[in-house]
Amino acid sequence: MKMKRVSVWMIALASMVIPAAMAAEQPKAGGTLTFAVAAEPASYDLHRETSFASIHPVAPHYSLLVKFNQWKYPEIEGDVAERWNISKDGLTYTFKIRKGIKFHDGSVLTAKDIKATYDKIIFPPKDVSSAREASYEMVKSVEAPDDQTLVFRLKWPAASLLANLASPWNPIYKADILAKDPHWYEKNIMGTGPFTFVEHVKGSHWVGKKNKDYFMKDRPYLDGFQAIFIRDTAARVATIRGGRALIEFRGFSPAARDDLVRAVGDKLKVQESPWLCVLTVTANTQKKPFGDARVRRALSLALDRWQGSEALSKISVVKSVGGVMRPGYEAYAATAAELAQLPGFGKDIDSSRKEARRLLKEAGIREGFEFTFKNRDVKEPYEIVGVWLIDQWRQVGLNAKHVIQETAAFTKDLRSGNFETGMDFACDFMDEPDLQLFKYVSSSKNPSNYAMYENPKLDELYEKQSRTQDPKARRAFVREFETIVVNEAFIVPTLWWHRINPHWAKVRGWNQVPSHYLNQDLRDVWLAEK
Amino acid sequence: MGATPQETVLPRVGTAPRRLPRWLAAVIWFARKKPLGTAGAVVVLLMGVGAVGAEVLAPYDPLATNYAQMLRPPSVNHWLGTDTFGRDILSRIIYGSRTALLVGFGASFLGATVGGIIGVASAYFGGRVDLVVQRLIDMVMSFPIIVLALAVVAILGSGIVNLTLAIAIPFMPRIARVVRSSALAIRETPYIDAARAMGFGHGRIIFRHMLPNVVAPFLIMITAFVGQAILLEASLSFLGLGVVEPTPAWGLMLRGAAVEFAERAPWMAIFPGLAISAGVFGFNLFGDSLRDALDPKLRTG
Amino acid sequence: MHRYIVKRFLLMIPTLLGVAVLVFLLMRVVPGDIVELRYTLEGTGVSDEFLAKERARLGLDKPIVQQFVEWMWGILRLDFGISMWTENPITEEIALRLHLSLQVAIMATLFATLLSVPLGVLAALKQDTWVDYAVRVFSIAGLAMPSFWLGILIILGLLIGFRWLPPMFFTPIWVDPWANLSQLIWPALAVGYRYSAVATRMTRSSMLEVLREDYVRTARAKGLWEQVVVVRHAMKNAMLPVITVLGLEFAFLVGGLVVTEQVFNLNGLGMLFVESIARRDYTMTQALVLLTGFTFIFVNFLVDLLYAWFDPRIRYG
Repeated sequence: MKMKRVSVWMIALASMVIPAAMAAEQPKAGGTLTFAVAAEPASYDLHRETSFASIHPVAPHYSLLVKFNQWKYPEIEGDVAERWNISKDGLTYTFKIRKGIKFHDGSVLTAKDIKATYDKIIFPPKDVSSAREASYEMVKSVEAPDDQTLVFRLKWPAASLLANLASPWNPIYKADILAKDPHWYEKNIMGTGPFTFVEHVKGSHWVGKKNKDYFMKDRPYLDGFQAIFIRDTAARVATIRGGRALIEFRGFSPAARDDLVRAVGDKLKVQESPWLCVLTVTANTQKKPFGDARVRRALSLALDRWQGSEALSKISVVKSVGGVMRPGYEAYAATAAELAQLPGFGKDIDSSRKEARRLLKEAGIREGFEFTFKNRDVKEPYEIVGVWLIDQWRQVGLNAKHVIQETAAFTKDLRSGNFETGMDFACDFMDEPDLQLFKYVSSSKNPSNYAMYENPKLDELYEKQSRTQDPKARRAFVREFETIVVNEAFIVPTLWWHRINPHWAKVRGWNQVPSHYLNQDLRDVWLAEK
Repeated sequence: MGATPQETVLPRVGTAPRRLPRWLAAVIWFARKKPLGTAGAVVVLLMGVGAVGAEVLAPYDPLATNYAQMLRPPSVNHWLGTDTFGRDILSRIIYGSRTALLVGFGASFLGATVGGIIGVASAYFGGRVDLVVQRLIDMVMSFPIIVLALAVVAILGSGIVNLTLAIAIPFMPRIARVVRSSALAIRETPYIDAARAMGFGHGRIIFRHMLPNVVAPFLIMITAFVGQAILLEASLSFLGLGVVEPTPAWGLMLRGAAVEFAERAPWMAIFPGLAISAGVFGFNLFGDSLRDALDPKLRTG
Repeated sequence: MHRYIVKRFLLMIPTLLGVAVLVFLLMRVVPGDIVELRYTLEGTGVSDEFLAKERARLGLDKPIVQQFVEWMWGILRLDFGISMWTENPITEEIALRLHLSLQVAIMATLFATLLSVPLGVLAALKQDTWVDYAVRVFSIAGLAMPSFWLGILIILGLLIGFRWLPPMFFTPIWVDPWANLSQLIWPALAVGYRYSAVATRMTRSSMLEVLREDYVRTARAKGLWEQVVVVRHAMKNAMLPVITVLGLEFAFLVGGLVVTEQVFNLNGLGMLFVESIARRDYTMTQALVLLTGFTFIFVNFLVDLLYAWFDPRIRYG
């Protein structure tokens, strides 16, 4: 057994090192990429949807204003924007739009189209829903003074705007179509992206073809792509293994990776990186005794996150120990030293648990106290982490009952405060304190804070960090925010996820980034011989 | 001619063979006549022993996780290997028989009893009542089991009790139908007419006179249902609608990780699947042979 | 006879109505909200106004009675409305999957019939011999094995043993028969095996009953040639309950193959069912339940007619 495991790891390691040497290879044009997607898009309008399943088949048909550079994440490069300029006071953003970009129906893209797109996202008409409206509160207006110039005017300076403009959820639509029918894009595709739309056979697959008039002359390399919808995880893995699909863009579990490495061998490449998703324990502060911060903190202190990271990362996608920001995001995540200071994140589990017991005793909780922990009925990683949590709490004399519910019932209970403790999670498309910290803002301002918790200090800190232009000051605010969150423990991170993408090595030009929402336009992807 | 009683008694000592107790004789007769059924009965018995004596028989606590021993193949320490949390699979299977039998018998009994009463009552009252009840039976039967199970679980929550209820409900109309046709045959007998003429109340007639006569098909359907209930539990748990972690239950053990690790750790998928198959197998064989034995029409010779 | 047919036909209507009301109420009683499920699972910070807007679009903010009346009115005109999740017409969504589900059901039935009838008859003729035991063990194994377990074993066997995987998406049989069959034969086998188990047992016990009849015993006593003729005649009479079982199980197959479809990744009605329930897509679930309910009730109706035709006593009962 041990020999086998070593060789499996060697292959995986080798398959990660070799491609670096191959980076100098010349991309070849041609071929169709077949990839697997776990679910189907509900509607085609990315301004409205929130699931990755909408992005993976739809994104290749559209362009963004600016986008993340997949090789140098989190650097931002222009997509339809050629260059841009931010005024000194941070209140005016001016973008120069490339000439000669055409929609798939032949009409020319101008700044008016981009303005119409962003008007829909930031100032949606009454019967149009825009899921991320709140992220753009700082925008006063969007203007298109001429065909190649786009201007954003802000109410206050915001460090996050540029990154938010690179959001994969903001594909550029055509102004004329939006004027006639703002709902048109829910059922139709018309973009400026590297691939044109061929067909969507519901429940089965989605086909796109190379856009011959794409504004980058030698792109896309592929002749086309095909997305197959495969709901069952095992079937998805089997499809990649059998070569019927070459890649899956969300991520697989470690077991699947090992199976694939063993079966496909050196024809497989595995890309791994920390993932912008985290599982949190949410305590309902309205239910006794979880209104008491000591009890909540004890729940967090009882968790041996480091041991959990080691054990659980073998059987599920959770891995990294981190605070409110993704570990590995150097700009704003806590360093190892800073983490060790936070209760529950240190390596000395015995003293943490002793402290937990002390707090519980102080709060009047007796040994064997029973409470419920509600969780979704998705095995990986929810149930797995849930089982681990129950086990950890047992170590401090808490008897938690694992109540696993069907997702619909679970969501309802969590949102309506019908729970004592529960599992929550957050996945974002980019590292950005505005996005990751929003979860912890007071419930009155934030409908996704299910803990029913109010803390004006936290809200104040959030505002401060959002409007600061100075990175050092911002980092200090974020650290302060984090310390309060972890001590109050109304929503506390458990473990951050780890993204594993095993794929056939012949798929080149796709570099993994921490978010499965990004980098899906397939513009730079090409297929090698083997 | 009259003989004194003493003369008709055969001398006991040394001549006639010792008589076996009646029940043992019946069992031996059954074992000889129906070897398949006996095999089935043995399996059922094993399950029962496992369920009752789980605390004594199981080598480990089925809930005890052991992250150092994750995914170990069958070995001397763990006869059937360990799962993704390091829990001993043999212990979980032994405890799982308890869940299987509880849900199996519970759902089967509940469904059959309620369904049986409905069927008999419907046959007895006849006329409009029968018509309406028949329509209700059709209605419930035309609902896919998944929908019913999901509704019960979503409204009442998951867990053994609610799962038992969710599985019992689809059984009720099916048994009601079968029992009703048996009861219809009986209703027309002079036996029942006489009871009515004597002024017995409806309830009494139904319970004391009609029900006992449908006992044979009733018992047989119960044994058949237990097997089906065990399978349904497995399917529902597989879909996530049944028993939940960390309860040891065979269907639950097949969910998720067992499939994912099927190549690396096939024992996780094989043993619970075998357990389910064996259990259902046993109940079906036993039930079949029981029916063959009880039903005078089908006896050979 | 005519009066009987009409009577049975008319009785179908209140049953269907009952099913419609029941599913409508059931969906509304079960907790969960499609709008929450669609937008709040992955997105943080989706506002309550956004959710309210979406609910209004789906008509979920109208009073329940109004929703019911509007829906029933549509059903009566055979307008099933649009799916709440995809906003596509329901008939379109169902039609896409109907072909696949029907084909699997038919293939499974064929396989089951071809397997069960000869085996069941054989077992009945050779009751209590090893042939009988072998057949019974074989068929009970089919009943005992969880179908999803069998499906997993099949896929793994194909993958590991033959390094081959069935096609992952559906092509209609007239477009590409090879791709179509190579995808659907496996689930048809897995389901058919289970299905045949039920039918085999039914055939066997039905045959046994018929073989006890006096005329059969007399024919046996008379000689071999007579026996063969009688067996054939007996079979005809024995088939009735078997056809009933096959028919009822077929009705169940069309929408009920939930777990099999999941394991083989088939885009069928069972999958649609589970998804629409999990998503609380009221209109789709209601439509599907009506569809399966109707199929079941209709098949029952046909079976009743068949029985009445064969057994005059029932017609006038």
